[in-house]
Amino acid sequence: MTETVTLAHGAGGKQTSELIDKVFKEHFSNPEFTPDDAAVLTMGSNRLAMSTDGFIVSPWEFPGGNIGKLSICGTVNDLSCMGARPRYLTCGFVIEEGFPLSDLEKIASAMEKTANEVGVRIVAGDTKVVGKGQADHVFINTAGIGEIMEGVNTSGAFAKPGDNIIVSGDVGRHGCAILLARDDFAIDADVKSDCAPLWQAVENVLNATKDVHVIRDATRGGVGTVLYEIAAQSNVGVLLDQDSVPVHESVRGVCGMLGLEPLYLACEGRLVFIAPESQTDKILTALANSEYTKGAAVIGRITDEEPGRVMMETAIGAKTLLPQPAGELLPRIC
Amino acid sequence: MCVGLSAKVVSVKDGTALVDASGAKREVSARLIDSLEPGDYVMVHAGAAIAKITSDDEAESDEVMAMLG
Amino acid sequence: MNENIEKAKEIIQGYDGEPLRIMEVCGTHTHEIFRLGIRSLLPDNIRLISGPGCPVCVTPNGFIDEALELCLNKGVTVCTFGDLIRVPGSKMSLADARAKGADVKMVYSPIDAFEFAKENPDKDVTFLAVGFETTTPAACIAVDEAKKIGLHNFSILCANKTMVNAYRALKGSADAFLYPGHVNAITGTIPCEELVDEGIYGVVAGFTASELLTAIAVTVRRLQEGKPFFENCYPRVVTREGSKSGMELIEKVMEHCDTEWRGLGVIPMSGLRLNEDYREYDAHVKYDLPHMEGHTNPACRCGDVLKGICSPKDCKVFAKGCTPQHPIGSCMVSNEGTCSAYFQYSL
Repeated sequence: MTETVTLAHGAGGKQTSELIDKVFKEHFSNPEFTPDDAAVLTMGSNRLAMSTDGFIVSPWEFPGGNIGKLSICGTVNDLSCMGARPRYLTCGFVIEEGFPLSDLEKIASAMEKTANEVGVRIVAGDTKVVGKGQADHVFINTAGIGEIMEGVNTSGAFAKPGDNIIVSGDVGRHGCAILLARDDFAIDADVKSDCAPLWQAVENVLNATKDVHVIRDATRGGVGTVLYEIAAQSNVGVLLDQDSVPVHESVRGVCGMLGLEPLYLACEGRLVFIAPESQTDKILTALANSEYTKGAAVIGRITDEEPGRVMMETAIGAKTLLPQPAGELLPRIC
Repeated sequence: MCVGLSAKVVSVKDGTALVDASGAKREVSARLIDSLEPGDYVMVHAGAAIAKITSDDEAESDEVMAMLG
Repeated sequence: MNENIEKAKEIIQGYDGEPLRIMEVCGTHTHEIFRLGIRSLLPDNIRLISGPGCPVCVTPNGFIDEALELCLNKGVTVCTFGDLIRVPGSKMSLADARAKGADVKMVYSPIDAFEFAKENPDKDVTFLAVGFETTTPAACIAVDEAKKIGLHNFSILCANKTMVNAYRALKGSADAFLYPGHVNAITGTIPCEELVDEGIYGVVAGFTASELLTAIAVTVRRLQEGKPFFENCYPRVVTREGSKSGMELIEKVMEHCDTEWRGLGVIPMSGLRLNEDYREYDAHVKYDLPHMEGHTNPACRCGDVLKGICSPKDCKVFAKGCTPQHPIGSCMVSNEGTCSAYFQYSL
């Protein structure tokens, strides 16, 4: 059978990395090409971060946001992960014929509001319209550049044994909100997406300490996928405390019904910080004092055992593997 | 097989029960259990309430360990 | 941690007798045992074997081929539990078929598939009915409701199975079974009590940490005592009678038949199909679908793995042709499958 692109290639897990390695890296490789959320570029004496992201979400509007807000948060958060103050964004729209103008207005207004909140400017854009059925309502791409704060040097490759792992809030809410909004499973729950711009939180953390090794945006594939990426990039083991991973009660209920693991559900406003144990309190205090990260918690630590793997300590005093997410997230019922 | 979830019965009407599992609500069939009432706790699987739950697992573990004398 | 968990752990970890083989026959047991790390707590002389308790693992790939025929060639919308999406048929999986444009829809319940058919009269909808006594009643409800309102665009492709004869077939593979609590929630405990006379022992187990550990502790202690036994270690959900309405519903809609268990072969009278009164809802009949044998890779040893005869590492295709991304055998398909677990731990 001819190999084709499947939904699994877009799920953010192992197959996505394989696709990037096999196709894109093969052709694009250069010294600045990055597996991190944003590339770090040196221009003159400035260190800049640059990132791009495509946004497709069905439905385009969901509890807690819409695709417009999402498209700003995504790129802002990617830049923030490099310790970069987001300065300028561009946006490209692909719009399906027949999409109501009033809805486009709604999307643009959400983009404006979120960009203003962060203090980032949208400086260029592009609009394409495609025929009915050639796109699902509206797709947005944003790209952005930011200035990296002095003294900050973060990368997925910098995690060290002994570091603590902090997540900035309860996990999996965006993925759960989208799943509910699609209404495929007739489940009703009060879950709002965690979609939020996180630059202020990162700035507060970095003002408290620059001694942060990794900041990573947990988006598709969830916190579990991000931890696997970091474990591979840094060649370290990850040991989670199963019971300290924060999960919203309703998300737990939905996951229970559908046999899903919250650690694999997408987030759009959750960061993973990895930093020396000595910096943990400062980071937690800074996060607790920022608007979207009040639920931050230490969920585990970096070890030198089982490099490349994510292990969990369980409630009964045993250790187990968090299986590496592979492909599309499927409900497990029977 | 058989992912089961404990949920509280909110209401019952015409063989269908609305159940609430930590905030996740869904209608499920009530046909497999006689005399289901609001407030009952049930085990839910694939869109049907399959059994009533009579205690929590902590109390149950006392009962089970008592088997060993 | 509650003190019963501690006590149960002491019993399990303090066991110093003959080697014991305890088989769990429920995919969710396997999943929870894995998630909680229970295997890592066991001493060397207690082995937990993951038996054929996950409908995905025991469904022959000919069944997937039949489903593929429906959605690729007969224009049918196939509704399925997410569990089956990645399972390989002879040539491809439902996920591959979907990429080719087949209409494959994931549902939470067979009843949702029925509702979908009702709301979409222009579509022919078939639900892939797999599962044991726990899941079968929901499929029966869907078919029964369809018949009540005379709905003609709904059918099921039936591969439902019953457990009792599987225990008999696996009698020599384990010293005791952890019976699947939610199957017993429907069947009650009498069928398992009756197995004691045939030399088949076990306990009904629930799914939380304390339920699994206390059930294993009771099993270890009873095996140590060396007497025939059956215990219900999940009394907060499982009663002796089970769900009378559930069992009546199965009898009303279905009839027993011989059926093939992937890896184990045909087990007499361990399958279910729609009976005469409901035959028009049988996708085999409705679409004149031949029974498909399916082609399995002869090197795959999932059957032996399921029976606890060999370890995944003894299989020639393990980690070579067969990986979680490209599973050949059923035990590699789901994360909690025995081969998949071995793969992720050991490579």
